[in-house]
Amino acid sequence: MSPPRLLSLRLPPPWSRRAGSDAAARYDVVVIGGGHAGTEAAAAAARGGARTLLVTHKIDTIGQMSCNPSFGGIGKGHLMREVDALDGLCARLCDRSGVHYKMLNRRKGPAVWGLRAQVDRKLYKENMQKEILNTPFLTVHEGSVEDLLLKEPESEHPGKCQVSGVLLGDGSKVHAGSVILTTGTFLRGMVLIGLEKHPAGRLGDQSSTGLAQTLEKLGFAVGRLKTGTPPRLAKDTIDFSILARQWADSHPVPFSFLSETVWIKPEDQLSCYLTYTNPKVEKIIHDNLYLNNHVKETTKGPRYCPSLESKVLRFPNRIHQLWLEPEGLDSNIIYPQGMSMTLPPELQEQVITCIQGLEKAKMVQPGYGVQYDFLDPRQLTASLESRLVQRLFFAGQINGTTGYEEAAAQGIIAGINACLRVCGKPPFTISRTEGYIGVLIDDLTTLGTSEPYRMFTSRVEFRAFLRPDNADSRLTPRGFEETGCVSRQRYERTSQIKAAIEEGVAVLKSLQLPPSKWSSLIPEIVISSSRSSPVRAFDILQYPEVNMELLARIFPESLGKLAEWRELAERLKIEVVYKLCTSNQQQEMEEVRRDEALRLPENLDYFTINASLSQEMREKLDSNRPQTIGAVSRIPGITPAAILNLLRFVKTNRQRTGGIKVPFRTGRSLPERNTDVLGKSEFQSSNLSRAF
Amino acid sequence: MRAGSCGSLLRWLAKRSYGCAQQRDTVFAVSSGHGKCGVAVIRTSGPASATALRRLTGRDELPRPRAVALRRIRDPGSAEPLDRGLVVWFPGPHSFTGEDCAELHVHGGPAVVSGVLQALGRLPGLRPAEPGEFTKRAFQNGKLDLTEAEGLGDLIHAETEAQRRQALRQMEGELGQLYQRWSQELTQALAYIEAFIDFSEDDNVEEDVLTRVDTAVAQLDRELRGHLQDGRRGERLRGGVHVVIAGPPNAGKSSLLNLLCQRPAAIVSPVPGTTRDVVETTLNVGGYPVVLSDTAGLRDARDPVEQEGVSRARDRLQQADLVLAVLDAAELAPQPGRLAGALQAVLPPSPPPRPCLLVLNKADLLAEQSRGALQQACAGDTLPPACLLSCMTREGTATLLRLLGGQLQHICGDPLVGSPSLTQTRHRLHLTSCLDALGRYHRGRAGDLVLAAEELRLARRHLGRITGQVGAEDILDIVFRDFCIGKKAVFKGTRSTTGLGWSLLGAPGEEPSLPQYRAAQSIGVTVGRPRVQPLGPSGKAEGPAREAQVHGMYMGMSGGGEGHLCSRVWTRLVNPVLG
Repeated sequence: MSPPRLLSLRLPPPWSRRAGSDAAARYDVVVIGGGHAGTEAAAAAARGGARTLLVTHKIDTIGQMSCNPSFGGIGKGHLMREVDALDGLCARLCDRSGVHYKMLNRRKGPAVWGLRAQVDRKLYKENMQKEILNTPFLTVHEGSVEDLLLKEPESEHPGKCQVSGVLLGDGSKVHAGSVILTTGTFLRGMVLIGLEKHPAGRLGDQSSTGLAQTLEKLGFAVGRLKTGTPPRLAKDTIDFSILARQWADSHPVPFSFLSETVWIKPEDQLSCYLTYTNPKVEKIIHDNLYLNNHVKETTKGPRYCPSLESKVLRFPNRIHQLWLEPEGLDSNIIYPQGMSMTLPPELQEQVITCIQGLEKAKMVQPGYGVQYDFLDPRQLTASLESRLVQRLFFAGQINGTTGYEEAAAQGIIAGINACLRVCGKPPFTISRTEGYIGVLIDDLTTLGTSEPYRMFTSRVEFRAFLRPDNADSRLTPRGFEETGCVSRQRYERTSQIKAAIEEGVAVLKSLQLPPSKWSSLIPEIVISSSRSSPVRAFDILQYPEVNMELLARIFPESLGKLAEWRELAERLKIEVVYKLCTSNQQQEMEEVRRDEALRLPENLDYFTINASLSQEMREKLDSNRPQTIGAVSRIPGITPAAILNLLRFVKTNRQRTGGIKVPFRTGRSLPERNTDVLGKSEFQSSNLSRAF
Repeated sequence: MRAGSCGSLLRWLAKRSYGCAQQRDTVFAVSSGHGKCGVAVIRTSGPASATALRRLTGRDELPRPRAVALRRIRDPGSAEPLDRGLVVWFPGPHSFTGEDCAELHVHGGPAVVSGVLQALGRLPGLRPAEPGEFTKRAFQNGKLDLTEAEGLGDLIHAETEAQRRQALRQMEGELGQLYQRWSQELTQALAYIEAFIDFSEDDNVEEDVLTRVDTAVAQLDRELRGHLQDGRRGERLRGGVHVVIAGPPNAGKSSLLNLLCQRPAAIVSPVPGTTRDVVETTLNVGGYPVVLSDTAGLRDARDPVEQEGVSRARDRLQQADLVLAVLDAAELAPQPGRLAGALQAVLPPSPPPRPCLLVLNKADLLAEQSRGALQQACAGDTLPPACLLSCMTREGTATLLRLLGGQLQHICGDPLVGSPSLTQTRHRLHLTSCLDALGRYHRGRAGDLVLAAEELRLARRHLGRITGQVGAEDILDIVFRDFCIGKKAVFKGTRSTTGLGWSLLGAPGEEPSLPQYRAAQSIGVTVGRPRVQPLGPSGKAEGPAREAQVHGMYMGMSGGGEGHLCSRVWTRLVNPVLG
């Protein structure tokens, strides 16, 4: 019954050796960390054909959901659909592990529907491990990474050196074409409960310090963030009978485009329950603030998933929602979402017992806070490769994000690009006009972040087009054609439905009736009487009261087939509703694409270029290091005039020289706004030799 | 010869593009208008301003910032004294353009001015300013927003008192502030709706935020509507009120035109149907700008030329802001009851009803009795304000002017009262689009919230375009093309590509000599370096020359095409809501 160790195994590379042997192993891609970013990265690289090694402390923790027992949500569900469109894992696995599926925002338009599920922790982990350990080209190594192997940089890319492999904890070396770091909160991670504080990670485990020191020495800029997790409660000690019950959807919608249904029968799903804070809770928190180091400190925490303490402090005299979420089918643990706190454990128990329904609840594990360093993501390119060290990629929480879905989204992009980098192919990046993943990565790499970054639909300019329902037609063809990390089966399925939608739209546009005829056929709709020309079925489908079934009854011959294919019928309806809006946005999207095509040189020295820019603008540009003019326009505080002047500068330089020749800065460390530089020491060749 | 000019052309171009990359030349220009005058102000802007001031005053120390100093001004080459005048030193960023600026207030004689200009032009790094360049720099350095810049342009062009007041108000940013406020309110509304979309399921974002958004949108809708339905006050004041003189033949319409503009602008004769075309003249009535048109007498004409004239008269009436209906008092006096019918025949039949003044001409031919009867007939509520006039004796002119002034004031409004008026068609276009989007918000609100939010974004984008917050190069092109020195000059200047300008402006690569400079000015060519661009690979002119072509077609077309910086809704909208 012991979990399998070091299974690679469908295609074990003949050159791979057991760790510890003298000769160094060689892989195309090495992924450090087996969390949500690491697993997606490793699987994506392997799908692309790269011989991949995933190094993790413990195989048993692969796929662990370290915080909330749920996946998806508003914006996050969009990310999962996009990860799935690129053949990623998390969406498919959730369809096999969920215990409560619910579509959020049902009333607010399909563009912002949020797929969400409570997921059985144990099942998810099992499924993920099964998946990872059975992926061809993917080898898993249990152990730690002590350091990076570095060598001289390639001259055609920016960067002071390049990574050539990793040094494992047992002293063996693994050579690699590229390395992905997905180590979450390991950089100076600190757990806080009350006034207690101890380093995060397993006790006594010092294995990552070498890696952290190397990153420091290389001059990576870091910032500090905090997050927290709530106490866990024993299910059988909670009185659910007096609480509001939230039922799961009776027709669960699967996350993956490939799943017809989810694994669980709708009636077998578990429920969530809702309770609230009260003035007593507020009083306990106020009275004991002095016992709460985590809250007092100024480190930035998430505003969007705040601790109970910060909610109480920021919005006093209000009651706050607390969701009681199941952790699994056979788990006796309840996760009280919204109750994240860092008071000393006894006080946490006090807080819990004064809440309705929890009067007798037993605390199984106290809540705690985590503070950690993150890497300023402005040091990364849009493919998530670091600009400082060539072939070194970063993904997940280490880049300042929060959430499994954000991590998975970065993981898949880093994995794909690490693989492409090894093959010498151009990077695969997603534009803001193509997907939420594009927005996420552009925001991170252009603006950085000063709080744990979470995805929202309001961060997305072209929300009406970037919908969960069409993620496959947006990304799957590109993924298949450009990266090879998407299976042919998925590609063909997408092409088929894409063609069917196009055909369906054409048919709907061709069917016309006079307005009076429509009114008599569908009395619920009001057609403006000023129209006398025939109205297309396409326009009629835009009415909220109309669906494909209704139209198919009117035009059984032309539409009958289309309406029978349920997925197609639903997607057609959504497509039609947003058609006007998305076609109006085409021009704007074109403008964004054009701005994104105007690339700025990687090492442009904003302090010396001869463009009319104020010192303030120069500082902003220098600390954000935008990669395109489009990115410049999104930096807060950059004036239109500054954009214009920079644009003019870029254009004149390009005209003059056929390419941009501008002063470059060398040997600089990244300046920052929200971050402090860990290691100020300039990289020297002695560091290089040390690593070899 | 040919090779030579080609070479110099290349050299000149090289210099020119270098000048662009070297993004900040120092520019200079006469800022006080051309021609003989008491004092001329010559202004420089750019990093070499300080050097220029030192060299021209022959002193190493600069005057105290923003204080007037009296200096002898010399030619830096020959040290020959040019004039004695006041100089002012404005170190950046506290100057009009935000750059280092200097002003030289010299005597306005052409010899002095040209001497100083030549001296400046010989200094390294200095060149004559292009049309609108000072303002453009001010905009680029964040000193003005677009409406302020437009206001400044209008202020420079303002010919009448009321225009000046309006332009001044706009330049001071009141219009911009109004649009800014609306934009902020929209942002707020958008933030609420976004918060509702992203957070209402998990957090306590109450349902009533949507009601608040609805209220805010409705309020904005009302304000925008009111602003747009101001009877085009601001635009009229800026462009002139169109006053059309109309009436039956031989009623004295052309005489009225001549009377009002105090010169024989139109031919007058006792023969009915003398005026066949529209005669237009501009004048200033009580501070309001008026474009006065005299039209052919309205009758069923037989002569095809006169028929055309009558049809033009009717067209013009359709566009009138104010109609001066001229009727023959002597003819009507026996039957005052026919007055209403006669007036009806003159006024344009289609709506909207236009303001009108009834002018009963030939009062000198009336007996005292019929004069009274006529006045009585006019006194009723049914007729527009009327006056008896004699173009012959000028009797009644004062009354007419008083009535006319009153009407104009009514039409243009007092530019200092109430919210600032919109002054440009560009504003009206974007505001209308904004309003349309707000209208569609309500439709979306009933169905799909995402579409409703999208409309608010769109509305905000349109508002942003007015103030140039979202900097679109095409807007800038249009705005700056309309600047200061004016369309005409830009137009002809760029036309010099075709060769006409060559002989005037000298060989490319050389600064124009002063006589060339003057000659160019006399035909309206932009003073400065010849604006010459070669034909691009496509055989089409590029750069300014292309601008000229586009401009020639009319400025509504956006030039360029590349590098639009689109307005983009910044996505971090939710923060203000979440605190």
